[in-house]
Amino acid sequence: MTAVIEARGLTKNYGATRALDDVTFAVDAGRIVGLIGPNGAGKTTALKAILGLTSFSGELQVLGLDPRTQRDALMREVCFIADVAVLPRWMRVSQALDFVAGVHPRFDRAVAGSFLKKTDIRMASRVRELSKGMVTQLHLALVLAIDARLLVLDEPTLGLDLLYRRNFYDTILNDYFDKERTILLTTHQVEEVENLFTDVIFINHGRVALSAAVEDLGSRYQQLTPVAEQAARARALQPFYEREVFGRVAMFFEGRSAAELGAFGELRTPSIADLFVAKMQGTGSP
Amino acid sequence: MNTTLADTAPDSPRSDAAPAAKRPGEVLLTLVRRELWEHRALWLAPLVVAALLALVAAIGRVHIDMDEAPDLTSESQRVALFSIIQFVLAIPLYLVAVFVGSYYLLDCLYAERKDRSILFWKSLPVSDGLTVCSKLLVALAVMPFGVFALALLAHLVYTAILGARVSLGSLPPVLSWNSYEWLRTEAVMFLVTLFAVLWWAPIAGYLLLVSAWVRRAPILWSTLPFVLGPVLEWVAFGTRYLLGFIDYRVNGIWEILGVGHVNIVSKHGLHHPVGSALEVLDFRHALTAIDLWLGLAVTAALVYAAIRIRRYRDDT
Repeated sequence: MTAVIEARGLTKNYGATRALDDVTFAVDAGRIVGLIGPNGAGKTTALKAILGLTSFSGELQVLGLDPRTQRDALMREVCFIADVAVLPRWMRVSQALDFVAGVHPRFDRAVAGSFLKKTDIRMASRVRELSKGMVTQLHLALVLAIDARLLVLDEPTLGLDLLYRRNFYDTILNDYFDKERTILLTTHQVEEVENLFTDVIFINHGRVALSAAVEDLGSRYQQLTPVAEQAARARALQPFYEREVFGRVAMFFEGRSAAELGAFGELRTPSIADLFVAKMQGTGSP
Repeated sequence: MNTTLADTAPDSPRSDAAPAAKRPGEVLLTLVRRELWEHRALWLAPLVVAALLALVAAIGRVHIDMDEAPDLTSESQRVALFSIIQFVLAIPLYLVAVFVGSYYLLDCLYAERKDRSILFWKSLPVSDGLTVCSKLLVALAVMPFGVFALALLAHLVYTAILGARVSLGSLPPVLSWNSYEWLRTEAVMFLVTLFAVLWWAPIAGYLLLVSAWVRRAPILWSTLPFVLGPVLEWVAFGTRYLLGFIDYRVNGIWEILGVGHVNIVSKHGLHHPVGSALEVLDFRHALTAIDLWLGLAVTAALVYAAIRIRRYRDDT
C-alpha cells in the first residue's frame, strides 16, 4: 500500500493560537478516514493544509506532491467539498456542469447528468433557488463525476436533514468509493457515519490524540462494564476514562487484553463515538 | 489481500487515456465564459445602451437649423457629419463599458471570497494565475473589443434607420455614406481602443489587487488613496504632484496620442472627418512612449501581487 497522505510535524499558528501542533499521520490508499475532533481542534486547518489552501510548517506529501508548491497538479487528482453551499449562488446547474467539464480533464458529464436525473434538481435552476440539501446533491453530482484519487469532505452534511445525510453517504459508499480511492472526512455527526470509516484520526488542541485502523481498535481499546463488586479492582488497572450512565459504570482501557479484564464484567469494543468522548475527556490520554 | 478479488474487481473507471490536463486555451475560454455568466452587466449594459440609442435614432426628433449649421449641402460636410456621428454614438457605449468594467474588476476577486465560492473554484484544477488572468482578459480584451464590435454593428443599424427616415422624408438629407471614411473612422477607433487599454492597464491591475486584498468595501479602499493622497500632499507640502500624476494616468493617453489639444469639431465647421484624425494621431509616438511601457510593467507587478494574494490568503 502506498500512502496517499503523509504528514510529519505539521504545525500552524494563527496569531497566538496554535491550530496544528506537530501533527503526524499517514493515510493509505483505499481507506475512508474520519478526522474527528471537537470544534476548533484543528480539523479544518489540517484539511486546508492538505488541499494547499493554507501555509504551514512541517512535511506534507499528498499523492506524492507538495500542496504548497504543486497545488495545481494536485487538484487534478483531488476533489473536495469544503462546506455545504459554497457553490456560487448565481450559477445555473447546467453552467456548473459546463464549467467543470471545461476545466477538469477527469470530469464525465454523463455521470453527473444521470445522477442529477434521480433528483429534483432541474438543469435550468440557479443554485440560489435550490434548497441546502439540493445544493449538496449538486456538488455531490459534480464530485462523483470526477475521477479523483482523493476526496476530502469537510462537514459536507452540516445542517442537512437526516434523509439527505443518509443519501449522501450511501451514494459516496455505493457509487464512488473503490479500492483505489481514498476519502478523508470530517464530521460532527460521528454516530451516523462511524460504520463508514476504515480508519479514524482523533485530533484535539491541534494534536493527534489517536490514529488507528478501525479493525485494530478492538485489540487496543476495551470498554468494560464491571459488576459492582469488581469495580474497585478494575479501576486499579487504570482506565483512562470512566463514566456513569443509569447507575452503571463504563470504564475505558487502552492496551489491556480481554483476558485481563474479562473477569470483572461485561467487555466490548467501544463504539467510535464513545471512544471519541472517552479520549477527549479522559485523563492520561497520550 | 486476496488477489482474485482484486482481479475480478470491476475495472476502475480511471483510464490512463484521460488527458493529464485540459489545454490552457480551453480552460481560459471556459473561465471567460464563466465571467460573462456571472457578471451579466458586462454585456447587458452596453447592449441596453446600444438599443436605447437605436430607439433614439428611430423616433428621435432632429432639428437642424440650416442657417446656423455648417454648409451641410456639400458632400464633404455630410461625410464629416457621418463620421462624427459614427464616433459620437460609440462614446456612450465606451463610457458604460469603462464603468461596468471597473466595477467588475473591483468586485470579481472580492465577491468570490465574500460568498466563499472561492472554495469551489479552488477545488478545481485551475491555477490562480490563469483565473486572475482570465478576469484581466475579460476587462482588457473581451470588454473593450466587444464594445468596439458592438459600436460598429450599432452604427450600421443607426445608419440604416436614419437612411430609412431620410428616404421617408422625415429627416433632411444631411448624411452621406462614404465607405472609405467609414473604414478610416473604424480604424481610428480600433487603434484608440487598443492604446487606451494599454494605457489604462495599470488602473485595471490596481483594481484587481484591491479586489484580491480588501476584507470589505472595495470601492472605498480603491478610491480612498486617490482622494486622501492629494489632499494630504497639498496640506503638508502645498504641492499637487500626486494630483498631476493621477490626472496624467487618466488623461495622459490623449497626450501620448498627440491629440491632447485637438478639438474634433472646429469653429470653421465640420471639414475634418474623424477619419482624418488618423493623420493627427501619433500612434508611433504612443508606441514608443516610455510611460506606456512602464505602465504595463507596473500592471504585470500588480497582477502578480493579486495572484499571490489569491493563492496564499487563508481567511475563508
